[in-house]
Amino acid sequence: MQNQKTILIVEDDENFREIVAMSLGAQKFTVLQAKDGQEGVNVALAKHPDLILLDLSMPIMDGMTALKKIREDNWGANVPVIILTNLNATVETLVEDMVTNKPLKYLIKSDWRMNDVAKVIEEVLGK
Amino acid sequence: MKLFFKMVTIVAVGAVALAGVSFVAAAEQINPAPSEHDVIQGARVDTLSAGLVTRVAPGELLPISIKLSNFGGGRKVDVTITYGIYNSDNQAVYVTSETVAVETTASFIKTIQIPFDAAPGKYVAKASIAYKDQLVPATTDFPFTVENKMFGLFQSDFYLYGGVTFLVGLGMLFVGYVFIYHRKKTRLVLFDYSEIPHDKRVFFELLSDTIFSIRQRVGDRALDIAANIDGLIIDKKTGRVLKITKSPSKIIASLVLGYEKALGQKVSFSFRNPQ
Repeated sequence: MQNQKTILIVEDDENFREIVAMSLGAQKFTVLQAKDGQEGVNVALAKHPDLILLDLSMPIMDGMTALKKIREDNWGANVPVIILTNLNATVETLVEDMVTNKPLKYLIKSDWRMNDVAKVIEEVLGK
Repeated sequence: MKLFFKMVTIVAVGAVALAGVSFVAAAEQINPAPSEHDVIQGARVDTLSAGLVTRVAPGELLPISIKLSNFGGGRKVDVTITYGIYNSDNQAVYVTSETVAVETTASFIKTIQIPFDAAPGKYVAKASIAYKDQLVPATTDFPFTVENKMFGLFQSDFYLYGGVTFLVGLGMLFVGYVFIYHRKKTRLVLFDYSEIPHDKRVFFELLSDTIFSIRQRVGDRALDIAANIDGLIIDKKTGRVLKITKSPSKIIASLVLGYEKALGQKVSFSFRNPQ
């Protein structure tokens, strides 16, 4: 499956991460997993996934810091990132970081079903 | 021998259901040669229409009001009244007669049932009187229409009302469609901010799209909340962002917080121009 796209899930909630991984795996994506921001940066820079699904609130390194580090890399500057979080963007610095580091989308977990997230990913990668 | 007038008046009123027709058949005043039997001589019949239309369905009753008057003389006269229903070919579809004794005047209502098998069309109801020593016949008539009914309405009314109702319904559907289409069109189209400098455009788009997405979920309350955010000026009808006068990030955070507090809605973002 040479055209199979790779997605990196960076999420500290193991149960949620597994559910997302299973769902995307069923959609014929190759799924990579990282349990915190630091591991996410390492896996991303090493494996160069086609898309990163990134949580914000995580131990060791939070998602926005991880995104900044990924964006500092030549490859990472343009990789599509979708933030999937329960954190509402009510803080000015978070909005500034979001605008600066430009994730493709900022999705609230409680508002999105996995099927819809998968559709968004398909749309992004299908282009 | 006294000189007197003899006048015969037949008033027939077709008053079925919603409509009726009245007509008056009046014998002209005559100047007969006096006789000891006060013979009623030549009569003239005039018809007056009340301008109403009579319609009746097969099997329904057609009431006819009869008025005989001015037989005069202080004695009773036997008058035979013949009623008939005639179709447009002048063929009788119903004929009956009865005899009444009239002294000076008489009024009564005769009810005729239209035959169940009467074909729809134009008909004429005729009434004529005959009495002893009559010299000139006195008759009168009035036209009416036999029409089938559908769901309690005459066919033509049913089609008329049905057509009007259909057209009104169609019109309301069209107006509703135009209204909804217009609202959708104005709501579903993202605003273009290409005239805004590139470094500020992302904030305009984020704010505009945020208002747009929340408006999709909660309606125009999203506009009211956005309009009250300090430093954010929007078109209160469309939600288009017109001006940002303070820190854009702070305005976005305030707007998101406003939606969360007022509506319990968290906000997802989508950037328009992916890297």
